[in-house]
Amino acid sequence: MKKFIIITTALTMIFLSIFLFFGPENPKLISSNYTVFAERVLYWGTQGQDVKTVQDKLSRWGFYDGKADGIYGARTYRAVRKFQAKHGLKVDGVVGLATARALGLPHAVGATASGGVNRSADEYLLARAIHGEARGEPYVGKVAVAAVVLNRTRSSSFPNTIAGVIYQPLAFTAVADGQINLTPNMDSIKAARDALNGWDPTYGCLYYWNPATATSKWIWSRKVTLKIGKHWFGI
Amino acid sequence: MKNRKHLIPPAILALLLVAALVWGYNQNQIRKQHEITLENYYQRLFFDVKKHIENVQVNLSKALVANSKERNVLLFSQIVSEATSAHSKLGQMPLTHAEVANTEKFLNQAADYSTFLIQRHLQGEEITEEQREALNGLQGNSARFNGELENIQGSLSDQNFLLGSMSNNQGGEIEEANANIFQTSLVQLDKEFSKTPELIYDGPFADQMVNRKPVGLTGNDVSLEDAAKIAQEFLGEVSIGGIEAFEAGEHVDESRIPAYTFNVFSQSQNEDMAIYLGVSKKGGKVIWMANPRPVTGGKMSVKDAEERAKRYLQDKGLFNMEPNYSLKYDGGVLFTFTNTQDDVIIYPDLIKVKVALDTGEIVGFDASAYYMNHKDRTITDPHLDQGGARAKVKENFVIDSTRLAIIPKGKDEVLCYEFKGKHNQGDFIVYINALDGSEEQILQIIQDENGTLTF
Repeated sequence: MKKFIIITTALTMIFLSIFLFFGPENPKLISSNYTVFAERVLYWGTQGQDVKTVQDKLSRWGFYDGKADGIYGARTYRAVRKFQAKHGLKVDGVVGLATARALGLPHAVGATASGGVNRSADEYLLARAIHGEARGEPYVGKVAVAAVVLNRTRSSSFPNTIAGVIYQPLAFTAVADGQINLTPNMDSIKAARDALNGWDPTYGCLYYWNPATATSKWIWSRKVTLKIGKHWFGI
Repeated sequence: MKNRKHLIPPAILALLLVAALVWGYNQNQIRKQHEITLENYYQRLFFDVKKHIENVQVNLSKALVANSKERNVLLFSQIVSEATSAHSKLGQMPLTHAEVANTEKFLNQAADYSTFLIQRHLQGEEITEEQREALNGLQGNSARFNGELENIQGSLSDQNFLLGSMSNNQGGEIEEANANIFQTSLVQLDKEFSKTPELIYDGPFADQMVNRKPVGLTGNDVSLEDAAKIAQEFLGEVSIGGIEAFEAGEHVDESRIPAYTFNVFSQSQNEDMAIYLGVSKKGGKVIWMANPRPVTGGKMSVKDAEERAKRYLQDKGLFNMEPNYSLKYDGGVLFTFTNTQDDVIIYPDLIKVKVALDTGEIVGFDASAYYMNHKDRTITDPHLDQGGARAKVKENFVIDSTRLAIIPKGKDEVLCYEFKGKHNQGDFIVYINALDGSEEQILQIIQDENGTLTF
């Protein structure tokens, strides 16, 4: 019986020590979806974290039904082709620049004279903000939210960069509660692109809020100009 | 043996309790570590902002003393950099927008105004009396700001005040009181800034620029019913299942382009995948349209799509529009069209058209820039001929094409020679003022297989 107690105690200790010293999972793991995306082109036979990211995306959107194992095999190839056909890209089963962009991956630009100057980082950050803030909204509501972010960068009383506006403390609830780190869906990416290309359904609005959940009293002093979905837009 | 058995559960429970305590302690340590890191970061921001504002103030005072343009240009460029840094760091501090909106505006405009004065100096002009007055105002404001930060710094050291406590709500009462000192003094300052007079100058953050109204919309106001009809007509052949207006707020007339916004759903599509468009109140023009339907299997060539877009604009009564850039994304191509008059390209009058590559349907239209800027223009003859303008461009710049163009400059427009060409394998456009020969603008062109972007 003594033995039994000792064994139980030992097991409990081991079990608990796992919890104690390997506390909460490293938050970095959640973000692995969007951090690094290699500068290389992916095709049949390539392996690595970037392949895994592609597989992950494709399976989320229902193109890929295999395991996200980081190996570019026949299934991945077929999924990529399906995705390309669906999005009006050249159907070659290779994840190059255009396909990576359509997938919403922060793919670095190839070795051109631009030296890495492009818009994909802006696009992706904006898409994440849309996804966190306006996931359930109609498409125009998503573009509108992105347009408000862009209008703020041009306003004198806000930060002047997209990241500055989005990460301004206490500005967006989706940033405060971490929802901004979710992987954006196709719709959010599309809305981000439309907003960056100039579409502004709000005609210059600087604020939006959800009248059902807004906690700031101050926001009610803003002038409402338009209501889309659950959001009120104002100046 | 038997009476020992009943000791097992309490023993396990005791172990669990100890384990929970250890775990809790660990978590608490981690939390403290995070708090300290954040607090250090906020403190650093605070002291940085203070230093930057100090430098702005000192440089403004010096600029008021300085007599030579060369010295002034140096001082103003320092003001630009210090004010920009202060602005960017203030925007990272745990303060709500409502508390610092006017302070941010002050910093933004101080930098913007200094840039404007640098440009004036470089053109050889002196500071006018009004500008000196404005600088005086800016100097006073920065001094007040600095004083306020000085006070906060005092209470910071007195009461072991923690900035980090302001961003989380669970802070105790003492922390709340601390936060109040900080917030009230900044809010007070923000209120004072809101009373300062408007700066009159030409720059992206000038009030006149931000509060611009459309000049391209004329005529009478249209009613909601008329606007709905205009929207339906605009969509033409699309079979319409229903049209619904988004509810306007009570201050709709104060938005940049007062407009009605519609949600049009066709019979074949569900409500989720509607077509959206905006019709201006004044004149009843369609300002923008977006059809976010997914585009699958595009076969159309970019050239054919461009033809479609061109014809589309003509159908809508928008003539003399010339395509210049295209960008392929999400199964469609976005074309940028600009107005032309007497073969002069007018960039402010810009319209964007997006063509779906599967059916050739127009899935996007944006004429907001066009209606903001379009007006009847009388184009003056250039004082400089093309050869004279070429001489103003860098000698080893390889020119592909040249033409006359009107480009926006602040709230005005200038007539320029547009030189498209290459330098060091990069594509650029250089604009030379056709009246006085100054180099007005340089754009870098980024081209890839999807199209062209300008930076």
